[in-house]
Amino acid sequence: MAPAYKLTYFDGCGVAETSRFLINYGGIDFEDVRIKQEDWPQWKPKTPFGVVPLLEHNGKQVGQSIAIARYLAKKVKLAGNDDWEDLEIDAVVNTVQDLYQKLVPIFSEKDESKKKTLIETAQKESLPYYLSRFEERVKKNKGYLALGRLTWADFYFATMSPMFDLLTGGDNLAKYANLKGLREKVNGLPAIKKWIEARPKTPF
Amino acid sequence: MAPLYKLTYFDGRGFAESARFLFKYGNIDFEDIRIKRQDWPKMKNMLGTPFGQVPVMEHNGKQICQSAAICRYLGKMVNLAGNNDWENLEIDSIVDTMNDLRMKIMLVQWEQDAVKKRELKDTVLEEIVPYYLARLEALVEKNKGNLAVGRLTWADLYFVSMSPGFDAFIGGDTFAAYPNLKLLRDKVETLPGIKEWIENRPNSDF
Repeated sequence: MAPAYKLTYFDGCGVAETSRFLINYGGIDFEDVRIKQEDWPQWKPKTPFGVVPLLEHNGKQVGQSIAIARYLAKKVKLAGNDDWEDLEIDAVVNTVQDLYQKLVPIFSEKDESKKKTLIETAQKESLPYYLSRFEERVKKNKGYLALGRLTWADFYFATMSPMFDLLTGGDNLAKYANLKGLREKVNGLPAIKKWIEARPKTPF
Repeated sequence: MAPLYKLTYFDGRGFAESARFLFKYGNIDFEDIRIKRQDWPKMKNMLGTPFGQVPVMEHNGKQICQSAAICRYLGKMVNLAGNNDWENLEIDSIVDTMNDLRMKIMLVQWEQDAVKKRELKDTVLEEIVPYYLARLEALVEKNKGNLAVGRLTWADLYFVSMSPGFDAFIGGDTFAAYPNLKLLRDKVETLPGIKEWIENRPNSDF
């Protein structure tokens, strides 16, 4: 029988990896569809808003990586126990997203010297500002980003933080023992470790 | 008795208006705290939130930020959320989509270089805004006049609360060519609670 879920994204980790982690953690059977760059022009017009990832289930298709991750997190019991707990998780996820969005212009900047300036600014300002605060949070939250236990916020951080490194060319968690520890903890979960070993090797 | 909820933001609609709409729609008593520009440097450090961001919602002595997260929480409270996880996914997805559109507009507003700003604004006005609006228009038509799950949800209030900001950016009525979006805006703006709020809320240029 075909898997109940289909996740479509580019052939890389990117913003879809949080969902792939959740799917593997929960042992959910899914079709991991990867679009090659050269095929994207044909795919794009068929998507609701010209972006991926897309989650397909029961003939319905929905986009937006964080929305998809939140849905999957509930399925695999990594969400909150009530609305306020969900709010706390959401707030942390959106704050990690804020940091990521500050770094994204680095990727699209074509001018090499402007790109260098953007990277330097990120390394001097945004990254220390956010990472030092996340570090404090994890220290106070028994090693997790929210609620003092493992939630999808930790999966989001573990899968987005490699992109900070990709964009700035550094090992951004090197100075932050608790954040580094958190990412290693997530990556070391048995189902995740297995997925990391098995997943396609891609540049991002 | 003091309101159970406190919402702190600048003295404008901005990223807080969606939450204010939800409080008003649900007739939930809240303290609407507005920080004047000149007081921001002082207030920023006094806010309990570690990331120094607004809007901040306070409840039961806890402070939380991030406007979309706050609205999702309030949406559930005022019965404008989904009936199951998939419906909530559809609502969340469309909210994130409109946030993508808003971010593209904000990138224009944040651009310092005048030439780049002009170019970026042209691209957003001529390509990006119509791309999103055409698809949102089709979605509302398909969803019986709402953005998701065929009925009123917090996504509709979230979207309409943003619309004056879109108007200011494009310099006109954003929904002039989009009848379903126009109807949705009219519908939300005349909801009990929202209608009175719009008539009575403080004036602001953002």
